[in-house]
Amino acid sequence: MLKTAAQEQLLPGKSLQEKWEFAQNAGYDAIELRAKGDFHFASRLPELKQALKDGVVMPTVCVEMLHFFGAFDDELRRDALAQMKSQLTVIAEIGGLGAQTPASYGMFSRRLPPFEPPRTEEQDREVLLSGLAELGEHARKEGVTLFLEPLNRYEDHMVNRLEQAADLIRETGLDSIKIGIDSYHMNIEESDPAASILANADYIGHAQVSDSNRFQPGAGHLDWPAWLGALHTIGYDGYLAAECRLTGDPVDAVRSIPAFLQRSGA
Amino acid sequence: MREVLDRPVPTAAADLTLRRGAARVLITNWTGTSTVPSRTLYPHQWSWDSAFIAIGLRHLSVRRAQRELEALLAGQWADGRIPHIVFNPDLPYGAYFPSPDFWQSSRAGRNAGAPEAAETSGIVQPPVHALAAWLVHRADTAESRRREFLTRLYPQLAAWHRYLMTRRDLAGAGLAAVVHPWEPGMDNSPCWDRPLSRITPAAPDTFHRADLNHGHPADRPTDLDYGRYVHLAADYRSAGYDDAVPHQFAVEDPCFNALLIVSELALARIADQVGADPGLHSARAADLTRTLVARLWDEDTGLFLARDLVDDRLIPELSVAGLIPLLVPDLPEPVVERLIQTLDGPHFHTKSTALVPSYDLDGHAFDSTRYWRGPAWFNTAWLIERGLRAHGRDTRADRLRDAILTTAGNSQFAEYVDPTTGAGRGTRNFSWTAALTLDLLCADDKEPPL
Repeated sequence: MLKTAAQEQLLPGKSLQEKWEFAQNAGYDAIELRAKGDFHFASRLPELKQALKDGVVMPTVCVEMLHFFGAFDDELRRDALAQMKSQLTVIAEIGGLGAQTPASYGMFSRRLPPFEPPRTEEQDREVLLSGLAELGEHARKEGVTLFLEPLNRYEDHMVNRLEQAADLIRETGLDSIKIGIDSYHMNIEESDPAASILANADYIGHAQVSDSNRFQPGAGHLDWPAWLGALHTIGYDGYLAAECRLTGDPVDAVRSIPAFLQRSGA
Repeated sequence: MREVLDRPVPTAAADLTLRRGAARVLITNWTGTSTVPSRTLYPHQWSWDSAFIAIGLRHLSVRRAQRELEALLAGQWADGRIPHIVFNPDLPYGAYFPSPDFWQSSRAGRNAGAPEAAETSGIVQPPVHALAAWLVHRADTAESRRREFLTRLYPQLAAWHRYLMTRRDLAGAGLAAVVHPWEPGMDNSPCWDRPLSRITPAAPDTFHRADLNHGHPADRPTDLDYGRYVHLAADYRSAGYDDAVPHQFAVEDPCFNALLIVSELALARIADQVGADPGLHSARAADLTRTLVARLWDEDTGLFLARDLVDDRLIPELSVAGLIPLLVPDLPEPVVERLIQTLDGPHFHTKSTALVPSYDLDGHAFDSTRYWRGPAWFNTAWLIERGLRAHGRDTRADRLRDAILTTAGNSQFAEYVDPTTGAGRGTRNFSWTAALTLDLLCADDKEPPL
């Protein structure tokens, strides 16, 4: 049985402690944190440490910003690198596993006008490799992992498929960078999501779950048994972190996820 | 005490490794709509392979298991036959022989109702499909109902069985006959040597065997036999795949008919679920069971034998096909008892692997490595395991189950193994070996046979 986590914003409750109470009752094993920019995540350190002391399990954090380490703008890119390094440090400080980020989000899509990005593919690659080297090295020093998340073609134009992420990671030569896979994006980008999991097994470090329509697992038409079966097949023992929107009664929807995943072979 | 400690015991970890390995094969061999038996040797969709594969796939993804059977049935002919190969249109003809341009199904099979869109072969394989459909349904009844899986499949499966019970009842005696050695699934069995000896081989320069590109010649049928296979298939094609035209090769096979009986029983369960009449199918199963015993049981050898319809004689070769009727739930108990004695007797009992050889270990034509002339296969072992359980021989079944799992893992899910050594032969990462391994690992012990 794979462990499940819910992102904090999905859980009812004012504090992490209250959210944890709900999460446990719903069958979750952990909470995935979200990290805003402007070093907001670092400013939460006292809150996180208290939560840790109170037994809240918080293994991973997912970035919640509007610019990323693959940004076209140098200043934004430098800021994103600084934010991510800080997030890696904080998650290390509370004994977590790592932090997840895409290359970019909402910056450019080759499927939407004007279709041609301002940088060439080679320039993109250079920027990504340099950013990954910097973040991966920082993660290594902190003893945690940077999870690189491929997004679908409408949300990012650089890293859409697992094989692209694996290729970049391989080139950095760093063990401290893994792929953070997401079932929703994979459903759009991978011709066979289960086969992609097998093909990139060595690079998969984290998994986020939502259904074909971005709603909670069970609300769409993904073949969950095949996807989860593939994760079992590669011996994945990390978390399935729910990062999704909710349809139906939101509390019921969040509560339904662990049992649904379990029924589907998690 | 020391002996106990030294003995390797199957552990949960070993099961987990095996389960992962089996799932890996099934994920790797999945094409998006169905599963190839092997990425190297068999690049299209095969009929009874897909049924066995679906039985294992149901533990990995019920949806894929359903799709597997649906994709196969998309190649069904209007006369009801399920062709033994549904070709992948993306592959060149040279990927496998006989290829679509040999069978010419959409042209030569037009009168028999071959589909226009899909290219298929014109012959059939054993009817495991209704059993597979029922087991897939039972793996997730809610998903099955949501997709109306049984409702859609029932008429197709019923047409398939009707085809076998009418057009293929060549002797008019109530059993289904096969008209080519590839149809019973055990292509190269010594059982077919006598009936095949009457066939003039096609000239070697008229065809190119693709099976030798990946398979070892010592494991595969000889060129002479291959020439006979080609001749028979070409004759059937020339006759427009019309079963009423006299056949030079016509045999009632015990494995084929035992599977038909079990599938009729499964179809009765399916009929019950979709609001059709189950009585027709259970009555047919009862008739088939009686006829199977009357026409193919051989008391002297303690085995079911194939009947050659050209001379109306039983073929005196001992094949694993004769043990498969153990699957039939209403087999008379004395026959069950004799069959188990035969299974554990000198002809089929191998100490080294405990799997069941495809042919008599003492037989004149025994060959430990050549295709169906001795090697042990996993699907036949799985069927016998199931048969033993159906007749309450759980301890014996457990032994066979352990042998299947151990050998499958050690051989990297081989297509078949040398029964004297357990060494893997043929291709590796073979889909039904992985699927049936997964089924033995995952199926509920308490699951009723039907």
